[in-house]
Amino acid sequence: MAPDEHTPFQEIIPAYAIGALDVDDVAALEAHLKTCASCPTELAEYRALSDSLLTAIPAKQPSAALRKSLQSRLPSAQKVARPPWTFSFSRLALGFAIVALLVLNIVSFAQLRQLQTQQTTLLTQVENAHIVLGLMSSPGIQMIPISGEEASGTLLLDKGNNKAALILQNLPELMENQIYQIWLVKSDGGRDNGGLFRPESGQTYTTKVILPPQSFSNYVRIGVTVEPAGGSDAPTGERVFRVEF
Amino acid sequence: MRCLKSTSIFLQIIRYNESVTGIDEGKLIAQVAQGNESAFLALYDRYVSRVHGLTLHILRDPVLAEEATQDTFLKLWSRARQYLVERGPFLPWLLTIARHVALDRLRLEARRPLISDTNDPEDMWQKLPDLDSMGEETRWRSLYFAVKSLPTDQRNVIELAYYQGLSQSEIAEVLGWPLGTVKTRLRAAMEKLREAWNES
Repeated sequence: MAPDEHTPFQEIIPAYAIGALDVDDVAALEAHLKTCASCPTELAEYRALSDSLLTAIPAKQPSAALRKSLQSRLPSAQKVARPPWTFSFSRLALGFAIVALLVLNIVSFAQLRQLQTQQTTLLTQVENAHIVLGLMSSPGIQMIPISGEEASGTLLLDKGNNKAALILQNLPELMENQIYQIWLVKSDGGRDNGGLFRPESGQTYTTKVILPPQSFSNYVRIGVTVEPAGGSDAPTGERVFRVEF
Repeated sequence: MRCLKSTSIFLQIIRYNESVTGIDEGKLIAQVAQGNESAFLALYDRYVSRVHGLTLHILRDPVLAEEATQDTFLKLWSRARQYLVERGPFLPWLLTIARHVALDRLRLEARRPLISDTNDPEDMWQKLPDLDSMGEETRWRSLYFAVKSLPTDQRNVIELAYYQGLSQSEIAEVLGWPLGTVKTRLRAAMEKLREAWNES
């Protein structure tokens, strides 16, 4: 390119670099820049100068309110950025540890409940044994044998102290929704609830202390039936045995 | 002892530069790109006076300038991931955004800057940059003095072209000069600034 053709473009590069070149000249210069070897370098220098002119302006502090105003305009959903989830062995180990602790807690809780149930059962057995021993040492004790088709045993009755206890063996196992219910029968046929019980699993004998709502002298016999779990207001199920006083 | 003193001064200079430019600037920008508001406010505190100085210089109205400053930082919030360290320092990139925002606002307001405005650009160049801007880059400081030492006619042309966004034809119309005169003065001013820039 002849120097006289190159010079006019070279002269307008400064204006182009700071965006002051008129539109009519822009297209021609940009076409020239594609073919010229030296002008793009010169343009790069002027553009660097152009960027630097921005920094030559004295700083000026805005009002303090601007900062708060700006903050209020930031999208609140993005105020707390969540770092992208990344896999790491330490996180995996922490996860396993948390799961293991949860499982351990659940197992410990179940064991504790089981021990509490066993403790309650043992306390009841000890209490029953204590009452039975007391009954047997009483001078007015009546020992009435029980002989049913499905169960046998003894009724210990102390009318003087108004206490009684059933000592049974060979009681048939019940379903989950069933229970044995004791009935205290009056001479006129009326019945009072004498208590509920289940056979003691793993034990040869089942002991049940009877605490009557009235004096035993008001009753003439005891009967036991199979009832729905929770008991009934009147006998509804199969009779297991009955004992006359 | 002299060696220790020199080392101490050197460390002080490094600490000063770090406090001004911030060695963790790239990290802050990356955090802003991920939506970290604290990092964003740190950048705001560091550069707001530079941005506002520029928007005020262009718009010459404190209210409009604050709006443009705010819009600039909102653009930073949404465009931080577009900044690439390899392309150059952060501040000129941010100030380029501020210039475009302010010039757009100037056009929106349909204000035609006049050299006889109350806030004459002549006055603007009488104010020294603050300590921060002087400490950031010696070359920028040199450029400030280079602009300030231009002949008034040439400085006015630079002012209208670069800081007011006018084309050469528009400048000719505003100043009532022949277009050729505007072109000559603008070219002469830019050559002087380029020379000063290369020497600094």
